[in-house]
Amino acid sequence: MASELRIDPKILEEFLQMNKNIFEAPKLVAAPDEISMEMTPSDVVYSEGKMRLLHFNSSVPKQVRTPVLIAYAVINRYHILDIHPQKSWIKNLLEQGLDVYLIDWGTPTEMDRYLGFDDYVNGYMDNCVDFVLNETAVDKLSVQGYCTGGTLSTVYASLHPEKVKNLVLTAPVIDGSRDSTVVANLAKHIDVDKMVDTIGNVPPEFMYYMFSILKPFEQGLEKYVQFFKNIHNKDYVENFIRVEKWLSDTPPIPGELYREWVKNVYQDNLLIKNQMYVANRHIDLKNISMPLITQVAVGDHLVSPECSMPIHYAVSTDDKTMRVYATGHVGMIASSFSQKKVLPELGQWLKERSEK
Amino acid sequence: MTSTEDSQKALGYYKHVSLFWTDLLSLMSSRPHSLTATGPLRKLGVNAKKISAEMIEINEQLVEFNNRLTEYYKQLANTWNEAQQQFSKKVPEIPTDAEHIDSSKRIWIDIFENYFTRLFDSTEFAENFGKLVSSELELANHWKNVTSLMLETINMPTKKEIDEIYKELHSMRKRIAKLEKIATSGVTENGK
Repeated sequence: MASELRIDPKILEEFLQMNKNIFEAPKLVAAPDEISMEMTPSDVVYSEGKMRLLHFNSSVPKQVRTPVLIAYAVINRYHILDIHPQKSWIKNLLEQGLDVYLIDWGTPTEMDRYLGFDDYVNGYMDNCVDFVLNETAVDKLSVQGYCTGGTLSTVYASLHPEKVKNLVLTAPVIDGSRDSTVVANLAKHIDVDKMVDTIGNVPPEFMYYMFSILKPFEQGLEKYVQFFKNIHNKDYVENFIRVEKWLSDTPPIPGELYREWVKNVYQDNLLIKNQMYVANRHIDLKNISMPLITQVAVGDHLVSPECSMPIHYAVSTDDKTMRVYATGHVGMIASSFSQKKVLPELGQWLKERSEK
Repeated sequence: MTSTEDSQKALGYYKHVSLFWTDLLSLMSSRPHSLTATGPLRKLGVNAKKISAEMIEINEQLVEFNNRLTEYYKQLANTWNEAQQQFSKKVPEIPTDAEHIDSSKRIWIDIFENYFTRLFDSTEFAENFGKLVSSELELANHWKNVTSLMLETINMPTKKEIDEIYKELHSMRKRIAKLEKIATSGVTENGK
């Protein structure tokens, strides 16, 4: 008896088209290492160890005197804030007439394994703040922290409130006990002392593992299927490669910083309990008396909103704003949505509270 | 006596015999070896005992690492099977024409994503993962000790010694930064 294999011609057509796209991809798309990131021009105005302070050039006249200092996260690089001219967080703030500085933490080597919260907050960050205050001739500046940079900014604002005019926390890591992400679950069960004592800095590969368990099928499979499906869509492909390049480039995390991080935020949860100490100085969240805006994303699978939101209730300031956006961790800072919704609201909030 | 206790006992005996003979051979050969005291061979002879102990402990640790790794893959495989079973139940409800190929893929991804996220969120997975990482770090520690012994043999700085320098550098940098701040502001450490 003859058997007949029946395949829907449309499925066959899609399959052949996908094969054609995969074959054509190298001709249509530049490799991540070949693309130009078209980043906003900046000058390195101060540096210390591996850390650099960048000052972004603007063609728009400043509308306010108070500068904004961005403390980027210690995971991945700051490029996501300047991923594409049309989706650039930095460019948008400049175009709104703000003066923007950013701390690039650089690439720590084994020599930096003993750097901890004290070095990052009371060393690097405080020196950058002093530099900016001196250069711009103002008494206070606005500090914005993204992700783990939000934790550093929170600690900084608690220890040095006299230098912070406004505090912007974008998806900050604050309350580890409420963090419902898979990363938080694993962080709570790691013997962090053994890890740091044995390997020193936390290697990028370990962070890549952590990323790989976040939506493994959506991010590890479907994303690439969609990439090849949309290979002729120039904007889609360009954006994809830029974000992939950013995702695949994370520096090591200094060992002591990681140890303090995991213990104080995820395992013992000392920060939100007002029991954290940095270099024997108490981190009292009630010291945060300056205006505060907390930005969270409901679809954030890296830092859940429940992890960030408690800061809103822990500070002493009466001028506090909470913004909850219907997007994800990266969508909040590098997307068309952030350009249309998140940044205009932030710019307005900052300008209303800055020195004219 | 269980098979684990048997293997522990056998391993312990092997360790004892190994250390006994390396010790004894080292003592018996110490005089002729002292002729080579300036080169690496004498030191290698002394360190051979420690290296041998480290290698035995690596084997012990490998058992724990393999157990944890097996459990890790078992968790992944079980979750995959459960998700696949769930998807198989849904298959008859999904039309097989070309228009629905995307929606069936979507259902597959959603089911697998849910099952695996539930696994990664579970205490069982996190606990085994923590122990797996710990056992890998124990192995790394033994390798580090062996490498250090080899480096000592040829008078090269070990990781521990380099770390001590890094620690010293870090503390000196902090002190210098503090002194620079005092010099710039013109006040002493006591604030006067």
